[in-house]
Amino acid sequence: MRKVVSNLVTLIVVVLAGGFLAAALVRYSPGFDSIPEDLNPDISPATLRALHEQRGRENSLPVFYVRYLARASRGDLGVSQNLKVPVTELLRERAPVTAKLILWGTAGGWVLGGLLAWMAVWPRHTAFEAAAFSVSGLLLAIPPAVLALGFFFYQVPLGLALSLALLPRLFGTMRALLDDCYASPALLAARSRGIGPIAIALRYVVLATAPQLIALFGVALVLAFGSAIPIEALCGVPGAGALALEAATSRDMPLLCGMALIVTFFVTLVHAVGDLAGERA
Amino acid sequence: MKRAAVILLILVTLAALFAPYLAPYDYGRQFRESPNAPASRRFPMGTDDLGRDRFSRLLYATRVSILLAPAAALVSILIALFVSAAGPALSGLTTLCLSLPWIFLFIILRAVLPLNTRPLASILITFGLMGIAGWAWPARIFTASIRRIRQAGWLLQARAAGISPLRIWLVQVWPHLRAIAIAQFRVLIPSYILSEASLGLLGLGVAEPLPSWGNLLAELQHPDRIRDNPWILAPLALLMLVMIALEALHPSREVVT
Repeated sequence: MRKVVSNLVTLIVVVLAGGFLAAALVRYSPGFDSIPEDLNPDISPATLRALHEQRGRENSLPVFYVRYLARASRGDLGVSQNLKVPVTELLRERAPVTAKLILWGTAGGWVLGGLLAWMAVWPRHTAFEAAAFSVSGLLLAIPPAVLALGFFFYQVPLGLALSLALLPRLFGTMRALLDDCYASPALLAARSRGIGPIAIALRYVVLATAPQLIALFGVALVLAFGSAIPIEALCGVPGAGALALEAATSRDMPLLCGMALIVTFFVTLVHAVGDLAGERA
Repeated sequence: MKRAAVILLILVTLAALFAPYLAPYDYGRQFRESPNAPASRRFPMGTDDLGRDRFSRLLYATRVSILLAPAAALVSILIALFVSAAGPALSGLTTLCLSLPWIFLFIILRAVLPLNTRPLASILITFGLMGIAGWAWPARIFTASIRRIRQAGWLLQARAAGISPLRIWLVQVWPHLRAIAIAQFRVLIPSYILSEASLGLLGLGVAEPLPSWGNLLAELQHPDRIRDNPWILAPLALLMLVMIALEALHPSREVVT
């Protein structure tokens, strides 16, 4: 219970800090202090100065931040400067596409990474171990975006590209976990009693490592979002990753801020769930 | 395996360092009469859309990517050490930075800075931001180690003996952190090389006409050209070779081999 409360407090503090970072970025981005009246030649310099001072007072960072949070708490993350569409609406449209890609990619990477790790550990044979390391090493050497481009041109599902990009990142941890597990006295005893490999894998390995594997799944989700950004942008997938890049290149600060707030919330939530799962281990 | 990796990395680093002497042409020189030329004696890897010699550009790109990734890794390690040494006061900052995927944090910071910059400024921005955005993971590891060290009896003894905090850090604590710092530095270099490649593909990396592995890989977005000139794949092949060599020297592999 104490851990849950501590994670909840961390979640709130980190999201508030993330919001502050986002608001500070908007507030101090170039051009924020300009006003439409700047372009009006009929307005005197003194009036312009007064208008700028007024805007400066209204938009001091603390005031700006409190207002931004108040609007965000009502679900209003502002309007995209570039696309002229409310940020919440954009996120509602794009997030499911990314969520689907990330979930497929993570699940695939998790399963393939697990199988490769099992191949490296279970047979206790140098050739299998070397083969597993070679596959992982080769995949780690290819930028995820290049992998995705190859898959895109050969019309292979991009979720698989994301899985292969995540595989080497998960393989190392999974191999270490399985290595510990297969060296445990309980498992050695089960082997000596002649219990079959599948029963051992299910009873002694999957059950024993489940909490850590769940925590690792959470970490993989976060990694997957990072890899999804270039994949979506390069392969023309209309997801939130591509939207983040569009926001950055067009300096669409309201959109970037809204995304920062949402991403911080979900990543912290995933880390908190992973922490709790790890704690149970 | 390790010897081959070391030899390859030395060769690539030497080629990068001596790029101006090894490259037949300047990286920006255009041969307007021969755009997209195939490989020949004059252009060993052919030319790109703008008639620039691919081989020369690859050598200069290697210089940018392979020499600046360690610099960015060093920046990350120094920031991580500083934040970890500052104690719990700044640990919240680590949590915040870990709450944003690295590339997302990078593009947020990149968006605040000018996008149309001179090539040299774009190098500094790209690798500087990588260093700044990537300190949180090593900081997490340093923080855990420093927490353990702070509880050590020998540290309390050193404090009780009146040794100054700076001396304690340099003589007592740093030797314990050095190995972790070196390991983290070695882990960050390949990840920064890969990140630069991804950012270059997205157009957020080093600005043209200066070449980097990232912006050379952008040619892969036109796969139809690969059949005519397979040398387009040369930057990818070199990147992969360097990554595999760095992996072979990766600290975690020492446990396995």
